[in-house]
Amino acid sequence: MTNSNVTTVTLKVNRFTPRPERERDRARGGSPFARTRKSSPFGGKSDAPARRRPRGRQWVQEYTIPARPEDTVLDCLLAIKRTVDPTLAFRYSCGHGMCGSDAVAINGTPNLLCTATLKDWVKPESGMPVLDDDGFRRTGDDAADADGAKGSALPESGSLGVIELGPLPGFPVERDLIADIDPMLDQIRKLKPYLEADGVLATTHEGKVDVFEYLQHPDELAKYEQLSNCIACGVCEGSCPVFAGGDAFIGPAALIWASRFVNDSRDTITMDRLDAIDTEDGVAACQSVRACTRQCPRGIDVGEEMWQIVAKVRER
Amino acid sequence: MEQWGDMSPKQLEDMYDAVIVGAGAAGLSAALGLLRSPETRQMRGNGIDPKILVISKLQPLRSHTGSAEGGIAASLGNIEADDWHWHYYDTVKGGDWLVDQDAAQLLAEYAPETVINLERGGVAFSRTDDGHIAQRRFGGHTREFGGAPVRRAAYAADRIGHQILHALWQQCVAAGVAFAEEWYVTDLVLTDDGSRAAGVVAFDTHAGKVHAVKARNVLFATGGAGRLFHTTSNSWDLTGDGMALALAAGLQLEDAEFVQFHPTGLAHTGILLSEAARAEGGVLRNADGEAFMERYAPGHADLAARDVVSRSIMAEIDAGRGVADPKDPDGRRDCVWLDMTGIDPDHMRAVLPQVVETIEKYADIDPSKDFVPIKPTAHYTMGGIPITVDGEVYRWNAGDAETDGTDGATGSRGVVDGLFAAGECSCVSVHGANRLGGNSLLDACLFGTRAGRALAARVAAQPVDDPMAVDDPDVQEIDDAIAAAADAASDARENELKDLLTPRADAADDVDDVDGTTAADETDDNPYRLMADLGQVMERAAAVRCDAAGLEAALRTIDERLAPRAEALVAHDKTAAFNQEVTAIWEVRHLIGLARVVLAASDARHESRGSLKRNDFPERDDERFLAHSMTDASGRVAWQPVHIVDIPPKKREY
Repeated sequence: MTNSNVTTVTLKVNRFTPRPERERDRARGGSPFARTRKSSPFGGKSDAPARRRPRGRQWVQEYTIPARPEDTVLDCLLAIKRTVDPTLAFRYSCGHGMCGSDAVAINGTPNLLCTATLKDWVKPESGMPVLDDDGFRRTGDDAADADGAKGSALPESGSLGVIELGPLPGFPVERDLIADIDPMLDQIRKLKPYLEADGVLATTHEGKVDVFEYLQHPDELAKYEQLSNCIACGVCEGSCPVFAGGDAFIGPAALIWASRFVNDSRDTITMDRLDAIDTEDGVAACQSVRACTRQCPRGIDVGEEMWQIVAKVRER
Repeated sequence: MEQWGDMSPKQLEDMYDAVIVGAGAAGLSAALGLLRSPETRQMRGNGIDPKILVISKLQPLRSHTGSAEGGIAASLGNIEADDWHWHYYDTVKGGDWLVDQDAAQLLAEYAPETVINLERGGVAFSRTDDGHIAQRRFGGHTREFGGAPVRRAAYAADRIGHQILHALWQQCVAAGVAFAEEWYVTDLVLTDDGSRAAGVVAFDTHAGKVHAVKARNVLFATGGAGRLFHTTSNSWDLTGDGMALALAAGLQLEDAEFVQFHPTGLAHTGILLSEAARAEGGVLRNADGEAFMERYAPGHADLAARDVVSRSIMAEIDAGRGVADPKDPDGRRDCVWLDMTGIDPDHMRAVLPQVVETIEKYADIDPSKDFVPIKPTAHYTMGGIPITVDGEVYRWNAGDAETDGTDGATGSRGVVDGLFAAGECSCVSVHGANRLGGNSLLDACLFGTRAGRALAARVAAQPVDDPMAVDDPDVQEIDDAIAAAADAASDARENELKDLLTPRADAADDVDDVDGTTAADETDDNPYRLMADLGQVMERAAAVRCDAAGLEAALRTIDERLAPRAEALVAHDKTAAFNQEVTAIWEVRHLIGLARVVLAASDARHESRGSLKRNDFPERDDERFLAHSMTDASGRVAWQPVHIVDIPPKKREY
């Protein structure tokens, strides 16, 4: 291999190592991650960001490694683990967008490591960090430059550019790119995320059971099939400006799951499900920003589904 | 709850009725089989709640079951006439007669019930126009004992695994199953005499702490071991943990030499490109552009059976007619081309959306214009922890029989009390030497449920919370033995963890002496690099085909180079919480132990059958090897006769 056609990428990774447990327990006191509070996202929560700020060592680490434009960000991180730094922590499993483990912030935007390719995400080298200390993305000129770089020819050698990585926004960081997404799973679990059918089987006109599965016409399936493809990765939640850690707003993911059962012809507790989300921290907290739609790896139009479920709640 | 979150137990019980390790289709099915059993209902009626914990190294929704695409086989007959006897026959034939026919009968007979229960659990199956579960054709599934293809695979678009995994998890949420998520099990603990399960040792990756989890019953459902090989369709987590832990506990693996390679993995990513790509007109070509399959399988060509196609591709590569992965143009020429340019581009997008998306996304190739590099990819381990049809793990006691395969007629199964297994990590032997498509999810759900019911019977016979048993000295004695064994194993593991988190200055030097490779490579070794090196060694020696010389060389490389490196590994950071490198060190050690057994079992079988192709023993030999290999950690192989019920062996032809 000659060096002339080797390209590189620079990954700037927001890293975090938690304090050793004993120290941390004392610091945590009365469980800063408690999820039982019921309050509006807008009232009396000015202390929220400070409360969630993780305790431990935080720094930004730069890795420059050989890479090709068509490599995924996950490919690069695995290469870093193998060849440069085995201590870098990030979740990953199937590597092709089905397991939902590897949602992080890529250049500030929630996305999956294994479906993001370098050519879609590299930005030109620049001195300015994408995320500031509070995790906000810088907008304006820098972002415009980045958009301009898309589609332009990438170099055949030298640096492809820079990608900045951080943990999934909206959730507490646990280590490096690993975030605590239990709040999302707790919220999904709160809304009875399982089929409640009537148990009645189809019968012949003599009253004999003739089919043991519940019958469902393809048109009925189409009403919820795509919703059932949600992989609970958390990308929509990390994109939602209201969600912010799941302290209040139940979040787009849990609502998608609720909607999946509301739209399933086999389910019998539609009214209960609609009641359960008709709360100030339920559908009422959604501000229709629709940021949740943009990066869904399963192609679900989350924002539109939010709109539909709100309509169903109102119409009942 | 506040302290730990809902996804980890707030506090471990002193003793569990049952601990289930793994939360894919098999583990979750077992949990539901246990909780929905009449025994559990009766226990609860008497005010006794079974103490169950499901431990998983992943959040359950991340399990690899979710990646299964095609379908789950069952003779529902929703589209055309079908009969479970036909399914039974196809399964035996597909497995090249290394299938235990009593188990395969159960698989085929109860498949429709299993699929219907999944539907009633919420799976969004694709439907026929009259609302029934839709079914499609799948390789090797036929009508009337080897006749025309039959539509037997129930499907949910191309996402059946995702649907099943999510529905099972949802039902577990409904049933209130307790999970310990992102806990990595480091030990299977048996009582000192090895006769009984005593629990597991688990590493809570969040807190970075080792726990002794004491249990009267343990079920392993930890999945396969595709990560033995460099190119695999398996997720990064399929490191054969359950199989390796069983070996470490002194148990055997059955038929470990049988690993199915799917012919069309997308070059070095290993990601599957469905068989449908060839069904729609895709053609395999070698470096000379020749459509070589017609030469190997006249009449069937590119649509021959999976193992046949994989072997043909490998033969082309071995003959120097392979091509390099364009992503690694200077690398080995270990791929061939999949030519889809003859398929109408619009039609291709309509009928192969997932295939096209994968090729575009991960190879950056337009398949309507350019050839796609493909390579056989490690897909499924047919072998595993030996179990009865009720999921009980057993030792094969070869008795007086010779262990060279010439005489395996005597011997007996000795069940380990309270130890169960299910799914890909186990071997009830329904897949024999080669698994049929659609039978893996079925195996996991059906035998997972059966194992759960068998667990329930044991739990109900002697529940931990039984108020009547408090002073029973026999029960107390057993519990004491369980606790002693689990605590001892946990203490040992805790000490090891301390060592792993303490960087050793001399570690690199030690390794350097043993290893012959460059110092720069070895002075800063890590488990990720070692796993990649192991994958290359295994791929060269045992992927798709093998011979004695290659197997022996690989074993030597492992013993002399890789195993010492594995022993010398330490973590590069001392913080225990979320220290993935610690888990990876244990994983690569597991893989190395398992690799030895796969190589030893392959070496012992002097024949070619199903997925195992010995270049030095090209024919099937029923006289000597109509038997399951039973291999222990030392590589010693015993032979257990195959259960033949009513389908005598004959030549496997399609």
